[in-house]
Amino acid sequence: MAKQSASMSRALQRRENTAGYLFMLPSLLFFVGFVVIPMILCIFTSLTDANMNSSGHFVGLNNFIRLWSDKTFREALVNTLVIVVVSVPAVCAFSLWVSSAIYKMNGKLLSAFRCIFYLPVVTGSVAVTVVWKWMYDNYNGIFNYILKGTGLIEKNINWLGDPRFALWCIILILFTTSVGQPIVLYVSALGNVDQTLVEAAQVDGATNFQVFWKVKWAQMLPTTLYILVITTINSFQCFALIQLLTSGGSGTNTVMYHIYFTAFKLTEQAGHFGYANAMGVVLALFIGALSALQFKLAKEK
Amino acid sequence: MEYLAYADGDDKVNTALTVGGAPDLVLEGPQRLVSNWGNGGYMVDLSDMLDETDKSEIAASALGCATSADGKLYMYPLVMTAHCMAVNLNAFQEAGADQYLDLDSHTWTTDDFIKAVEALYAHYNDTVGAVFCAGQGGDQGTRALVNNLYGASFVNGTHDGYTWDDPNNIKALELLRDMDGIEFDASLAGGDEIAKFYQGILKMAFCWNIQQQTDPNGAGTGTGKTLTGDDIAFMAFPSQDGSASLCGGWWGFGIFDNGDAARIEAAKTFIKYMCDSEHTAEAVKTATFYPARSAAEGTDLSNVWAGNDLMAEYNKLLPMLGEYYEDTKGWTQARTSWWNMLQDIGEGAGIAETVATFQAEANAAG
Repeated sequence: MAKQSASMSRALQRRENTAGYLFMLPSLLFFVGFVVIPMILCIFTSLTDANMNSSGHFVGLNNFIRLWSDKTFREALVNTLVIVVVSVPAVCAFSLWVSSAIYKMNGKLLSAFRCIFYLPVVTGSVAVTVVWKWMYDNYNGIFNYILKGTGLIEKNINWLGDPRFALWCIILILFTTSVGQPIVLYVSALGNVDQTLVEAAQVDGATNFQVFWKVKWAQMLPTTLYILVITTINSFQCFALIQLLTSGGSGTNTVMYHIYFTAFKLTEQAGHFGYANAMGVVLALFIGALSALQFKLAKEK
Repeated sequence: MEYLAYADGDDKVNTALTVGGAPDLVLEGPQRLVSNWGNGGYMVDLSDMLDETDKSEIAASALGCATSADGKLYMYPLVMTAHCMAVNLNAFQEAGADQYLDLDSHTWTTDDFIKAVEALYAHYNDTVGAVFCAGQGGDQGTRALVNNLYGASFVNGTHDGYTWDDPNNIKALELLRDMDGIEFDASLAGGDEIAKFYQGILKMAFCWNIQQQTDPNGAGTGTGKTLTGDDIAFMAFPSQDGSASLCGGWWGFGIFDNGDAARIEAAKTFIKYMCDSEHTAEAVKTATFYPARSAAEGTDLSNVWAGNDLMAEYNKLLPMLGEYYEDTKGWTQARTSWWNMLQDIGEGAGIAETVATFQAEANAAG
């Protein structure tokens, strides 16, 4: 009897497993086809001198060695790191601050704020970028108009054409398009904080800051970790803004844009596919390392 | 049929080539048809489409740029034009700078140009012309401007090296950077510059041709007019003696070698219909450029624009076409290096050293 029951249980389990795998199959096929295989191809191609004309020959680590002597790549890497280092903490801190301020508001007001901050996320990136381009315009942009009108500047600032400003202008746009999702997530996380723990801490005489830091923040760590990782990856992959606004000029070249440019524009350069793939591998390593570090720190905390 | 934008059209074709899905036919210029795809081994040699009559009818410049160094015809020429610059005539008149323009020959000297910019700046106290350098779009304008001012070249005679460090190029760059009213603008590419000129903000545009003159900024608001209704005059680039050397624009058809003889033959039939038949005049008119040949299968194309005063007037620039040099080795890198170089110069970098650095980068890619 027990043997028959175990056998039935195994059959049931097998059926559930099969159903589970079948449900996963479409996503799995997509994941393997568009993520895993391209990643393997990318790593393989980075070890060759492949270009448009041929799949190339094995060149070992030559592409990676060449990268470190490539001034343009080094500049692109530094710019990318600046974007990440500035953008990620700013996005996290700002969205936490906004969420803390709005999460207790009544339903309609809260929804309105969520909509306002989420709007740039759901608006097409090209449309958003074009509007920003108008605002930054050197000749008749609104920023120069206001600054000049108020007497703060005498001569127009070439926001996107001057390396002193261009990268910061890009970071500002990235910031506005990145805060929407973290705010929604933080509002949700703050709403889910266990109120009994908060009340207990308050009864024990904890200050507002202590309540936030010791109770709420601790419970929001998984959300924070997710936001950190997602924002870091998005910042590393900053591409559309660069392509649409500066084409990598004025000190705004990023690794993602440089990969695209090397692969699809410098097609007469020997081994341009292999070289671009090597950049992709380096970028992936940076993203992986930083994400792993964030996971580790969050775990320790 | 798919329309491709200039900015990323080559990306799409390159991607299609990489995955073996190139189209049969493409209408493009020689830079991509010959230098990029033809020399890369992707195009069909169309030499067998030309007999002696065709060769005598097609303009030598068009035939020259359509042919690779090893004598293969990768572009069957259809239309051509000369790239030039444009000025806002009303603004020039208001500033008293129109006296420096020869509107009959559409030429002016470097001294005229300097005086005109001085007059414009004195009147408007703002940027009147932009050496745009946000990207490679429209870069033939900045190349022609710099090369013509003091009579220098962009490449050497054998088209295997770049000569940006010619003292006359350096002198031109110094002049432009030091001029009040001229700004090296890294936020504008050619198309942006045209838009600013069309809006009446800039008083001159260095990226111009007959298509722009016919329909400025593609806005459909009237031939030869800015948005504000000012008159636009097209001009050759200024040079010391007023005889400019203009960059040309040539366009024609190429066939990708997809390994299917029947499709290649069908594509050739289409090209013959478009470029060498009684229908060619219509194709040329649709393109609003000039025919790349004098006649097609007995149809005279030399008077295709008869009765059109603007096209006849613009035709005065065509004899000023300079040599086609976009077949120089390392051309793609050179174009990138050029606008990057202009950006650095605009930011105040030493001109001679900057030119040397970027020229070396371009030459190294050759």
